Amino acid sequence: MSATMYKYDDFDHAFVRDRNIEFADQVARRLSGEITEDQFKPLRLMNGLYLQLHAYMLRIAVPYGVLSSRQMRKFAHIARTYDRDFGHFTTRQNLQFNWVKLAEAPKILEELAEVEMHALQTSGNCIRNTTTDQFAGAARDEHSDPRPWAELIRQWSSNHPEFTFLPRKFKIAITGAQKDRAAIRVHDIGLHAKPEGFDVYVGGGMGRTPSLGHCIRTGLPGEKLLSYLEACLRVYNRYGRRDNIYKARIKILVAALGPDEYKRQVEEEWARMDQAKVDAPVAEIDRLKSFFPDPEFKAAAFDRVAYQRAQTADAAFARWIKNNTNPHKRDDHVSVTISLKPVGLPPGDASSAQMDVMADVADAFAYSELRVSHEQNIILPHVHKGDLYALYSQLDAVNLSTANVGKITDMIVCPGLDYCSLANARSIPLAQDISQRFEDAQLSDQIGDLQIKISGCINACGHHHVGHIGILGVDKQGIEFYQILLGGRADEKAALGVITGKGLPAEAVPAAIERVVRLYLDLRTSDSERFIDTLERVGRETFAGALHEPA
Amino acid sequence: MKLLTANRLTDGLTLWYTGTLETGTWGEDAARASRLSDDDADALLIAWKLRETDVVAPYLIPLTDAGTPVQREHVREFVRANGPTIGQTADAIASAHNRADIFEN
Repeated sequence: MSATMYKYDDFDHAFVRDRNIEFADQVARRLSGEITEDQFKPLRLMNGLYLQLHAYMLRIAVPYGVLSSRQMRKFAHIARTYDRDFGHFTTRQNLQFNWVKLAEAPKILEELAEVEMHALQTSGNCIRNTTTDQFAGAARDEHSDPRPWAELIRQWSSNHPEFTFLPRKFKIAITGAQKDRAAIRVHDIGLHAKPEGFDVYVGGGMGRTPSLGHCIRTGLPGEKLLSYLEACLRVYNRYGRRDNIYKARIKILVAALGPDEYKRQVEEEWARMDQAKVDAPVAEIDRLKSFFPDPEFKAAAFDRVAYQRAQTADAAFARWIKNNTNPHKRDDHVSVTISLKPVGLPPGDASSAQMDVMADVADAFAYSELRVSHEQNIILPHVHKGDLYALYSQLDAVNLSTANVGKITDMIVCPGLDYCSLANARSIPLAQDISQRFEDAQLSDQIGDLQIKISGCINACGHHHVGHIGILGVDKQGIEFYQILLGGRADEKAALGVITGKGLPAEAVPAAIERVVRLYLDLRTSDSERFIDTLERVGRETFAGALHEPA
Repeated sequence: MKLLTANRLTDGLTLWYTGTLETGTWGEDAARASRLSDDDADALLIAWKLRETDVVAPYLIPLTDAGTPVQREHVREFVRANGPTIGQTADAIASAHNRADIFEN
């Protein structure tokens, strides 16, 4: 069986192979001293290779988070052979290896090419990996499958000659469902695919200057998507600031011009350009769509009684079903989220053994397909309900059965100062402390949906601006402090959290969060009123006092 | 006083300079890093910046009189010297030398 996903054609294979040969030569010349670090650095970054605190880090693109079991197995092999036996899944639905040797990077890229993968455009001021709903093609609330459009954007943006040196990096996200699981309002461009066409949001983002994207167009036909995006990018490429790295993202331009004026310029550019030269022909869009059919769904009869009996017999399984499955468009299937947030361990990490098991269960129960979510979990998009107990048991054997999806311990967390050379403070140890504090399954279920997001610096890789509770690490004269933000959300009602109270030392944060959560439990009107609902009802200030130790 | 540190070109691992202005070597154990006079450190940094064939991104870490990094650099350099503090993969170097507290005296 092979996953239903885009397959490389001769052009793709040749493109990746040529780049790998070129990069291998550049690495050899760097190692021999023929080129300097200043000359080499932009070249290695264009191939996804960073130098971090302790080693080189290779960021591998997982296009729109779609992964085959074969590719996952390759990750396991690379982790075992070239790294320290683990990898880290990121909010861009990508994978990072933290301990890569420069001399071995070309060999790793060669291995990746064998499974139609690469590390291109995972760094630099270009269009990065387009992210989507991790349940694309499976979710019951989906009205339009985002994957063919994400693939179209991937092909258009790969080595796009005009957009290889933008003022700054550029990130696009697409959702095609009612519920926005792709955080489109905090992307440079967010697309909402609807039956009547795309809603286009521009100028969202996090980082130093967080802002929500503005809708500048509705009902954009799919066959016009590329030319419209090209017009959006052109205006940005032309007028986006290049003099100040902190003011170079498109959100700054859109804010400076005002969304209406930006839209006017885009429309003017769009009207002037030769759209047919840029837009994909309908036949090409149809060809891309043909790569994403439904798998051949298993026709086995679904034994509802046995399914209920298994849940009654095994409470942990029942809890896992409740927390880690998402409604599927077919009644006899679900989408399963494999949580990479076990209590006390670094969020988003998976060992090679765990990767192998995820590949194995994908083959056995999920039509060989996996997804990476921007919440740093792994998804099996299509699983027959009759297979859930067998699947659960195999995951449980390798510590992959944590039943906390969407819960307080399912945190988005950047690598922080433990790995990242940009960070000001550590993120992962704090996440470990928080997950231990809320380890109790009953308490965690009682709290319900609550998203904590932690960043180790203002760049906001940990999405702290859109956490229900956001945590931002700052450096106060060499000591790590954490600012708490309340009220952010990344869904279809996107909002930016606001810094509340004074910064706290790391050891004070878990208790502060617990006080906030206890207050929420006291204030909520019913079990179904989520933390974010209560917070919006009673106001952020109500919680400010709870952040600090009572005097 | 200052320490000179960099990353090794071939594998990116953190290195520390041991020796004098005239002669020295790079090693993985931060505890063996030489405490250099400010003048020597500045001269060595310039020299190594010009020949980034063995090491990449060299820089100096200012030290307090007690020999530890000044407060501003403390956490970052502690993590760099000892590896990630998060348990899943202690830096092999730190564990090999059994020094979890290299800058804590």
